[in-house]
Amino acid sequence: MSALIVENLVAGYGDARVLHGVDLNVGQGEICAILGPNGAGKTTLLRALSGMVKARGTVRLGGTSLAGRSPDAVARLGVAHVPEGRGTFMPLTVEENLRLGAFVRRGKKDVDADLARIHTYFPVLKTRLKQAAGSLSGGEQQMLAIGRALMSRPRVLLLDEPSLGLAPLVTRELFRIVQAVNEEERTTVVVVEQNAHLALGIAQQAHVLETGRIVLSGTAAQIRADEQVAQSYLGYRV
Amino acid sequence: MTGRADANPATRDAAPATAAAATGEAGATSVRLFGWDAARWRWVAAAALLAAALYAPFQLIPFHVFQLTMVLVYAVALLGLNLLVGHAGQISLGHGAFFAVGAYAAAILMERWDTPYPLTLPIAAAVAFVLGLVLGVPAMRLRGLYLALVTLAIAIFLVPLLKRFEEVTGGSMGLTLAKPAPPAWSGLAEDQWIYFLVLAVAVAAFLLAGSLLRSRVGRALHAVRDNEIAAEVMGVRLSFYKTLAFAWSAMFAGAAGCVYTWVIGFVSPDSFTVNLSITLLAGLVVGGLGTMAGPVLGALFVMFVPGISQEINDAAPGVIFGLLIIAVMYVAPTGLAGLAGRLIRKIPRKE
Repeated sequence: MSALIVENLVAGYGDARVLHGVDLNVGQGEICAILGPNGAGKTTLLRALSGMVKARGTVRLGGTSLAGRSPDAVARLGVAHVPEGRGTFMPLTVEENLRLGAFVRRGKKDVDADLARIHTYFPVLKTRLKQAAGSLSGGEQQMLAIGRALMSRPRVLLLDEPSLGLAPLVTRELFRIVQAVNEEERTTVVVVEQNAHLALGIAQQAHVLETGRIVLSGTAAQIRADEQVAQSYLGYRV
Repeated sequence: MTGRADANPATRDAAPATAAAATGEAGATSVRLFGWDAARWRWVAAAALLAAALYAPFQLIPFHVFQLTMVLVYAVALLGLNLLVGHAGQISLGHGAFFAVGAYAAAILMERWDTPYPLTLPIAAAVAFVLGLVLGVPAMRLRGLYLALVTLAIAIFLVPLLKRFEEVTGGSMGLTLAKPAPPAWSGLAEDQWIYFLVLAVAVAAFLLAGSLLRSRVGRALHAVRDNEIAAEVMGVRLSFYKTLAFAWSAMFAGAAGCVYTWVIGFVSPDSFTVNLSITLLAGLVVGGLGTMAGPVLGALFVMFVPGISQEINDAAPGVIFGLLIIAVMYVAPTGLAGLAGRLIRKIPRKE
């Protein structure tokens, strides 16, 4: 069953068109990796899915069309977008950030239970609950951003470059957690990543985006085996 | 005295919540002083302040009681402005207009329809709220300088408008009204009675704003202020919450305007020029944005510093007032409330 279906998605900023007809079909509980060089339109793709940039084409979440909806409406339908740069509410505490993640939900008890659930994935956040989020390290802020997104109990989680600016060890830990979340909660994940190794390590399917078009699609194993990808993104020749 | 009650274990749990209502500041730190944490000290400070406020009118001459009353009036207006500027991160250079609307609504109700004065408060607040909603819908689609300009325009067109509808507003002559008379049972003088009325309104306003900010809605406002894009992807509808913040903010300003009419017993267009709007914003920034103490400190500044400026230099009080604002912002870039917090943290303390 497909969780997210995208057909002929066209998007851009003003007159500058960035995406020229993108198709995706992400199955329920799958992790889908979007690879590609800088400027390929990876971030724009996620923004188009969550309504942050205007887009034409089909976007369907289960049976519901997301096309033309505002970001807050898309969020209420169950898409959690962890934006580029993490979107931390710096002056607010870690706990306030996490509770804002559950903004679309009602019921304090459930939210409290979810707070505990997030702590099991990210134990470090538990020790920082009353601390201003701006005082966290980059890796902790990324964990907070993902934890906050999970607080909404999303059907689809959109991750924009989670590895950006983080040490390799921290990045690896982060991907391990994303995989754990995916396995335990069956959350569908679309992850945009420059670090192809890591993304392919946890994904079932992958797509290579170049100048606004998908130039290569397949299972993670197929993409990893592809010579062209190996040369361009994995940094070695096969 | 008030601190004693707080040491009672039965009230322990209630203390932090009430403290947050009184002074719920963003970025609270866990400073401990003599074994009490910051939340408890804020609660003690608020209680002490309230005790002093209840005692003061029996010790001061009527003029000083009047001055304190005006501090409370400004504090309510600044509290409203703080919701918008300090907590939702929007700007308004036109809040004097909502203050004026509240003042005139009360005056017209009392003058034309002989409305008893207690009734004018909810009506004036409601009128300002609705006007804030109507003006907020277009204004809150703008940001930064554009929003500043539009709100400034609101303040500018108000005065000529008030002069124009002379039959209702009394035109340039304004309206003169009877002040609320103290009931015989109270045994209070007129100035004392009015002072306590305004104090009650101010305390209610602070409690209301405090509970508003601690709710889900308050969190939404802070999210909008700190990161609009992230707030939106959390499911916060930006236009809705910004407009709501504008309307509430206008409502508090309107309530302040209403009690201003009770205190002064006179309204005229020249009391509500653009200058008032600018003074309110300056007072809030000097007091401290996004804090509960900020509006009180700002109100004290707005009320007393012009007088002090006059004493320092009779010829150019405006210059001295301006220089004092610059001096405060230089010493305390986060306002007087921020400065107080910094000084408290400097006090050496035992483990």
